[in-house]
This record gives sequence, C-alpha cells and structure tokens, in this order.
Amino acid sequence: MRTNKLKTAAAIFLLALLAVPLYFTSTFVLHMFTLVFFYIALTAAWNIPAFGGKFSLGHAAFFGLGGYTASILYVKLGISPFIGVVAGTFVAMVGGVILSFPLIRLKGPFFTLASIAFAEVLRMVAVDWRALTNGSVGINIPFRPSWLNLTFTSGAPFYYIALGLALLVIALAWWIRSSSLGYHLRAAAADEDAARALGINTAKAHFLGLMWSSGLTGMIAVFYVFYNYVLEPGTAFSMDLFSLQPAMNGIIGGMGTVWGPVVGAIIMTPLGEFLRFYLGTIQQGLNFVVYGLMLIAVVNFVPGGIVSLIEPWFKKKKSGDSSAADN
Amino acid sequence: MELIVQVCVSGLLLGGIYALISIGLNLIFGVVRIINFAHGEMVMVAMYLTFWLNYFFGMDPYVATIIVLPVMFLFGVLIQRIIVQPIQSSSANMKIFATVALSLILQNVALIVCKGNFRTVQVSYGMSTMELGGIFISVPRLVAFFAALISISLLYYFLKYTYTGKALRAIVEDHTIARLMGVKVQKLYLLAFGIGCAFSALGGVLLMPFSSVYPTVGIPFTLIAFIVVVLGGLGSMGGTFLAGLFIGVVEAVGGTYVSPALKEAIYFGIFIIAILIRPQGIFGKGKGSEEVGLK
Repeated sequence: MRTNKLKTAAAIFLLALLAVPLYFTSTFVLHMFTLVFFYIALTAAWNIPAFGGKFSLGHAAFFGLGGYTASILYVKLGISPFIGVVAGTFVAMVGGVILSFPLIRLKGPFFTLASIAFAEVLRMVAVDWRALTNGSVGINIPFRPSWLNLTFTSGAPFYYIALGLALLVIALAWWIRSSSLGYHLRAAAADEDAARALGINTAKAHFLGLMWSSGLTGMIAVFYVFYNYVLEPGTAFSMDLFSLQPAMNGIIGGMGTVWGPVVGAIIMTPLGEFLRFYLGTIQQGLNFVVYGLMLIAVVNFVPGGIVSLIEPWFKKKKSGDSSAADN
Repeated sequence: MELIVQVCVSGLLLGGIYALISIGLNLIFGVVRIINFAHGEMVMVAMYLTFWLNYFFGMDPYVATIIVLPVMFLFGVLIQRIIVQPIQSSSANMKIFATVALSLILQNVALIVCKGNFRTVQVSYGMSTMELGGIFISVPRLVAFFAALISISLLYYFLKYTYTGKALRAIVEDHTIARLMGVKVQKLYLLAFGIGCAFSALGGVLLMPFSSVYPTVGIPFTLIAFIVVVLGGLGSMGGTFLAGLFIGVVEAVGGTYVSPALKEAIYFGIFIIAILIRPQGIFGKGKGSEEVGLK
C-alpha cells in the first residue's frame, strides 16, 4: 500500500522532471538543474568507496583523466565523444587501479592523503605535458553542433543527459549497496578486522568499489566537459570543484548511504552557486569559509548527515509525498 | 660533480625545516591521534604573522619568533580545545572532515585578509651566501638548519627526561594504560597540540627570509609532513629528523635533474614505495600505529 503510493509519487516526480525543459526556457533554470544532476551523479559515484569507509579527496583525478581522454581524442584525432566516453571511463579506471595500490595497505586517513596527492600529481602532469594537453591553456571543444559531437544549440539535451546520468548512478549505487559487494564494503566499514576474520576479502571489495567509482566519475566527466566546451588543468583536476565538492555533498547529505549524495547535491549545488555569486563577488573566498563552518557544524551536530535526520521521520510516516520520494 | 654536492647540501638544509614541521605533526599525530589536515595551514599562519610583524613594526623574522611562537602555541591549544576535543571520540573520518574544514577556513580567511599576492620579507641577509670548499651555502638556510637541529634536540630532551615528556611518550605508546596510570590525558592533548603547532610555526618563521607566503602555501607542507612521519615512524623523533633531511635532498635532486614541476609526483612515489615496503616507518616504533590507520 505504502510502497505503491511511494512508487506513484516517484513516477509523478520523474515525469515532472522530464517536463521541466518544456516549461522553463530560461537558460539559468535549466543550467541549475543540469548542474544539480551532474553533481548528484558525481557525488553518488564518489560515495561508492565510502560504503566501505574509504574517504577520497582526490576524485578530481578520475574526473580529469576521463575528461582529458575524451577531449584529446575528439580535438586532436576527431574521434566521436561516444567512443571517447568508453575510452575516458577506461582511463579513469586505470587511474583507480593506480590509486588502489596504497589502498591495499592503508586505512582511512592515509588513503585520503594518497588520493589528494594523486590528483595533485596528475594536475602537475597536465600542466607540464604541453604536447598532449596544451598545458595550462587547456583544450577547447570546437562548436560543431551535432548529436555525434555531443554539441547542441539548446540546453535541453544536456538536461536530459545529466538527468539520465544521475538516475543511472543512483540506480547503480543502490544496486551495488544491496549486492554482495555492498555488504562486504559495509562490513569492512564497520570493522575491517572482523570482516576479514569472517573470510571477506576486504581488499578486493575496496578495489572493486574504487573501480566502479573511478570509472563512473570518468564517464560523467566526459559529458560535463562537453557541456562546458573547455578543459584546463586548473578546473579538470580542481580540488575545490571535483574533489572537495562531491565529498562535501556526501558528508552533508550522509556519507555511505544511497540517498545522502542526492540530498547533499540538491542542497549544496544551488547554495554553492548562490554563495559564489553573492558572497564570492563581495569577497573572494568568503563562500569557502561558510562551507568550512558548515562542515564543522555537520561533523559536530549531525555526523550521519541530513539523511540521518530525515530517515526516521520518513520511515514512521504512513505515506510518502513527492518530496519524500525524491529524498 | 660539484653541482650534485651543491644540490644535496641545499636540499639537506631545507630538509631541516621539513623535519621541524614534521616533528610538530608527529607529536600531534602520536599523542592526540588526529590526522591534522590543517597542519600546513599552521605553517602558513605563522609565515603571515612573521610577514606582518616585519611589515608594520620592521621586526626581523628571527626576532619575531619571540611573538610568533607563543601565539602559535596558543593557536594550537585553541584548535584542540574548540575543533578537535568535541569530536575526540568520533570516527577517524569525522576528524578528517573537521580538519579539512579547518584548512579550508584558514586558507580562505588568509585570502580575504591578506589577498592572494605573494608576500616576502626584505632582509639584508636574505640572499647572502658563504663559500665552503667551492660549495655555496645560503646563510638563512644554514641558520634554519641549525635552529631546527637545536629545537629538535631540546624537544628530544624534554620528551626523554622530564615528567611531562615521559607522560606524553606514555600516551603515544598506549592511551588507555597511560590514562589508567593517572596521566592527565586531556591536558596533555592541549599541550601536545600547542607544541606541535609551535614547531610548525618555527618552520614557517625560518622559511620567511628566503621564501614567500601566499594563502595556499601550506598545502604541500601537509603532504610533506605526512610523508616524513610515515618514513620516520610514529613517535620517533630521530627517525623523523632523518626522514625530513632525506625528503629535502630528494626534492632538491629531483627538482634539479627531473623537473621542478613534478616535485609532488616524486613525493607521491616515495610515499607509495615507503608504505608498501615498510608501513610501520623506516625507523619506526610502529606501536599504536594500527589505530591511526598505519599497519
């Protein structure tokens, strides 16, 4: 009964989302929605290793690898971004394999540290390797509108692409969390030694989690880069945009849960844009101070993230409304 | 041949400062068991303090130590009391969030207050060198090295022979037992954070005569300090000192013969190799390191 109502509500909500580009022609509204979807996808992908308690602050590495691979293939060799997506995903996964070396031995904090260093190293390489990446000037995606080139004259196609990506990654995250991999990861997060004593290959679980996460991040990056037409080391491997932001969304929403990244991205993306426009123009850097204070407040008062506040209320409630289905 | 000796000497001298900063981290890490991601930002704050003292009062960076060190000691105590203590019993990840947030706040407050410009202190001896058997040695770097050596020796003496020092070492060895033996753990946490912060601050002050300060100057120091602590071993002062020198030399050699832009790549490589070969640290005591994720 209750699940039926929930399903109906979710279906209505989804239909409403599909209709948004038909009613809102304002580029700002569409852009904001698209950005939120992209960040839901990025955060949900970041969150997969977090099922196992691994906290990465270097996902910009996978983002940059995916984005650079596809745009280099397209701009220098004329290869369609649809092949670029596959290549970008693969290269990002190779990055994941490299980062998984320290993972074999390291618990939480040192993994976090290694991930920061990894992204920084790649940024340096992207700046230094001018022949391939154009150095700090970056790569511009030429404006040649066509489906095959992933270039469009209106904002609507990317709205649907981003929505599709968000739904895909949420579904995958949900599936992974309820699969045996998810149970292994959660066991490892709760108590690594106990999980190992029970015969769970935790190293393998962490490795697979990172593979999913890095591959998906690389894939999302390809679409994001084509949405933005431009790619340079400072943004592609940006600590703020693609390492810290997904992590912050995840923490504030609820790290290691399926819906945490969704809630986090829905709240933090518009807030981030708002802060950047209002506070950032008054005083550069003020928005990050606010972010930092928010993080400290969350850690102190709601360590489980916003989802941990909503969940009990949601479970007790007799029937879900559309906003609950969304969360 | 002469070049390589020259490069190694300047690397060694810089390594002294790295050792100083890393020993601050080692103490905080070992005693309070927190992964302080804002460690480099403490160096940054100290560098800015030195700069402003020089800018407004014309104070020599070395003289500024008298003010900067106590201020930074207090700063460390406050961080422990306000940010860390409330989440002392939460998971390691929560402590990471809190210190990452702190580093974000400090970096951006620095950006707001001091703007993004590179700031340097103008001192007469900033560029002065002395020649020793065909090798040129920068005077401020030499001063920094010896100041590091002396202060690390003092800390070693303090930890080895005083009652408080012994209590701190007891906490590094085993928290619970130290508490059972009547060690005032909470108070010593404050002390350890203060001392750790002051040591990093000293590193920052000693850097000022020959380098510049900007809001994100601290980021590499956090990384370097962690690598040095991993190499040197948790709770080992001597190991940390040697590892600091080692990283200094590696950076200088790598920067000269490979590419200065790939400095971070070199650190990362060493870091990975070190934890794969000997995760308990090259000189390490290893004990208790499981708790903080090193195993």
